[in-house]
Amino acid sequence: MKYDHDVIVIGGGPAGATFARIAAGAGLDVIVVDKRKEIGVPVRCGEALGVTELIKEGLDIPKGCYSIPIDGARIIAPNGKAIVWKDQGTKGWVLERKTFDKWLCELAVDKGARINTYTRALEVLKDEKGKPNGLKVTHGGRDPFDITAPLIVSAEGMESLMARQMGFKTVHALYDIDTCYEYEMKPYVHENLIELYFGNAIAPRGYLWIFPKADRKANVGIGIGGLVSNDEKLGGLKGAQPKPLLDQFIKNNEQLKDASTLLDFGGVITVGAPINEFVKDNCMIIGTAAKQVDPIHGGGIGLAMEAGVMAAGVAIKAHEKKDYRKEVLFEYEKQWRTHPGPTMAKRLLLRKVMEKVSDDDMNYIFNIMTERDLPSIMGGNFAPVVAKMVAGRPQLLAILRGLVS
Amino acid sequence: MITIKHDGCILCVGCSSVCPTNAIEVVGTRMEHFADKCIDCGICVKVCPANVIQMYKGVKEAKKLPPEAEYG
Repeated sequence: MKYDHDVIVIGGGPAGATFARIAAGAGLDVIVVDKRKEIGVPVRCGEALGVTELIKEGLDIPKGCYSIPIDGARIIAPNGKAIVWKDQGTKGWVLERKTFDKWLCELAVDKGARINTYTRALEVLKDEKGKPNGLKVTHGGRDPFDITAPLIVSAEGMESLMARQMGFKTVHALYDIDTCYEYEMKPYVHENLIELYFGNAIAPRGYLWIFPKADRKANVGIGIGGLVSNDEKLGGLKGAQPKPLLDQFIKNNEQLKDASTLLDFGGVITVGAPINEFVKDNCMIIGTAAKQVDPIHGGGIGLAMEAGVMAAGVAIKAHEKKDYRKEVLFEYEKQWRTHPGPTMAKRLLLRKVMEKVSDDDMNYIFNIMTERDLPSIMGGNFAPVVAKMVAGRPQLLAILRGLVS
Repeated sequence: MITIKHDGCILCVGCSSVCPTNAIEVVGTRMEHFADKCIDCGICVKVCPANVIQMYKGVKEAKKLPPEAEYG
């Protein structure tokens, strides 16, 4: 069979654009279809990115793509006690996702990839053996047409509807998602630190964030657990909603209560484990579509780009051999499960333990914890910190033992 | 039976990412609910950050609503 392209990528976000850049750079004929009219719009993201993730890629982020550089984080306990965490690992940016996504796509185009916006994938085409070999797409709702390729990559993000047609189990469980609401606000005077507020009264099973931006602007948002959100009658634990909780926080905040909102946005993020398989015959799934998201903070840009690099490397090899069977593509999944898989598994464990900690215990933990403990916690080395906590408050062992056993 | 108030919808597609039966999809610039696929599980109601999806018990109650309540 003669194919139109070597690879079709669904979705032009960080994962899809990174994949396209690397695959096209190696000479593959890559086409990216994105349903949005404009790459990067609408923004549905807190827009923070750690510095290490781009250095790994060897990319230098141009000026317009980020709002301001960030030095570190201020983490605030339910009672208001703050820990400031600043080191090499916490440097980063608050991005302008609109220009950032476009920049990544432009890099891909420079390497020879082709990107089509406003092109929605309607259906995955399959050959007589049931293996995907193309897509039925429509440009702006006009007559659908077929494009074919031996390899299809789903980089669709949260929705991942095409991935479901390919047979990936991408439906989300309520327990493993956070529902978020966010304002862009002005004026907010900040010190180039991202601020994270914890506590069950502020953000049940989640956190509230203030990500500073240039010109005294800030992204103020909240994410709360799917199970605690909304209608109590439908089985929610508390009947909490992200928007009223965020409004209440803003009303009580000295700086923000008089600030204006410039943008309302929201979304749903996954904070659970990645899906059980990343590859099938003739298809791969990368980024948020594969639930490759940090379970602690819900960040997925860096992981998506990392997965894009890995998957593209394997796709290039598969293209050389003209062999797109699952066994060949599995190399990508193997790489991901070796790194960053285990780190993410530890963070998921931490998330599951943290959501059981009461506000009072959280205050206690923040009292004892110092900024020196944070790198080891995020790195997955829990034992020394847990020992410190339990020494002063033995009853915490019942909750925290999950971290060390 | 669910209804979507399209006015307050911020098009985050959260509902469509959690729907187990693909009964909500973004069509053009709004979310469309396909009642024939819907199994009334209520997950979309719980995740909607803008709280614009409402659930009615049974088909009867929903039928009482004027048609524009569901579609516009």
